[in-house]
Amino acid sequence: MIHRAHHLQEERLFDSYMAERSGGPIDPPVAEHLADCASCATRYAELIAFMDTLRREGDADADAIFTPERLRLQQQQIARRIALVGRPARVLSFPGRIVQRTINASASHGTHRWIAAAAAAGLFVGVAVGASYEWRLAARGRLMFAADTGQSRTARPAPVAGRSNTFADGAADDAFLSDLELALERPHTRELLAFDALTPHVREIRDQR
Amino acid sequence: MVGSAINEPLDGTAPLDRNAQSASAARRVVGAPLSEDSQIAVAIRSLVERGDMDEARDRFGELVVLHQRRATRIAYQYLRDASDADEAVQDAFLKVFSHISSYREAWPFEVWFTRILINGCLDRRKARSRRDRWFVGGEISSADEARASAAALQIDPEHKLLGRERRAKLAGAIDRLDGRQRTVFMLCHYGDCTPREVSVMTGLNESTVRVHLFRAARKLRGLLGGQP
Repeated sequence: MIHRAHHLQEERLFDSYMAERSGGPIDPPVAEHLADCASCATRYAELIAFMDTLRREGDADADAIFTPERLRLQQQQIARRIALVGRPARVLSFPGRIVQRTINASASHGTHRWIAAAAAAGLFVGVAVGASYEWRLAARGRLMFAADTGQSRTARPAPVAGRSNTFADGAADDAFLSDLELALERPHTRELLAFDALTPHVREIRDQR
Repeated sequence: MVGSAINEPLDGTAPLDRNAQSASAARRVVGAPLSEDSQIAVAIRSLVERGDMDEARDRFGELVVLHQRRATRIAYQYLRDASDADEAVQDAFLKVFSHISSYREAWPFEVWFTRILINGCLDRRKARSRRDRWFVGGEISSADEARASAAALQIDPEHKLLGRERRAKLAGAIDRLDGRQRTVFMLCHYGDCTPREVSVMTGLNESTVRVHLFRAARKLRGLLGGQP
């Protein structure tokens, strides 16, 4: 082994590493020195190991996050965004009809008044017809009940059975109403439950009394 | 605009010399055959100029496939946030397509694209530092990273945890590099660029690039104690 008074500087070792990495040749004197000097060869090997580990760690870090699936999604997103390049921008239509209506409000004021009057008249007629129809039904029911009681006073149905039906209907109604009340008291949306728990309710004050 | 963006300073401290950059780029391509990506870029440019946008979009997909992984690596190392890196890469590709008519063969496509990407990353870093003045971020910046970490922990908890710590240490050390050193190091080390290519991208002298690169590596070795 040839004894050398001076070792290679770090900078030269680094240049050699860069040259080797990009596929180029190492400077011949440096290569010769590395072949002869064990100390420099060790330093060079350490440098290469350090840089390679650095690079491998960095790449692994990025590749763990940017998986092939994610890269494919990214490609699709790029394609989607590029598809919009060069096309005329989509213009959202301003609600012109409303504006036009506001501008011409004074002109069409008379027409609107007629429409409102017709709607009110229709409502009035509907309510009146409905009320008279219900009144007629109730009157007919009373007449039929009177006829029934007159005809079959002896063959009267057992009151117990009728009463039990009424009780069953009432219980079902009560259950339905209590269910409804419960449903209305508490929100069904899970996200709102926390807010509901924090909000004071009338029922709590009422219960305290 | 891309034209102005690529002349912006890379580290946000000093503007790059435009003439030096053009001269450097011109020097590089004399006599050099066009690379595959540059040829595709030229083809896309002529398609766009002819108005054949659909065909241009199809061809652009090839460029995306060629550069996507490298671009995400660079962007992620720069931004250390998966969502930010994702957006930066998408924006860079979009900018390239929008301004493909300004692409010139004098610049290898890879260089042109990387420069656009790096400028985008730098803008995002600046925006983030502004945002961080007002908001406090967590250790893990995105849900994806959290998911990745959780998945990694399930595979081999101890090994992955150590790996994660090591990578966090490495990221911290890279973050402590001077702006220009960091850019040069990123481009060379993670972007697979040669010092000459980095010199074209940054407009710095090639020997200056080498010096920055060497100093960055030395500083990293100092910070990481010789072991990343």
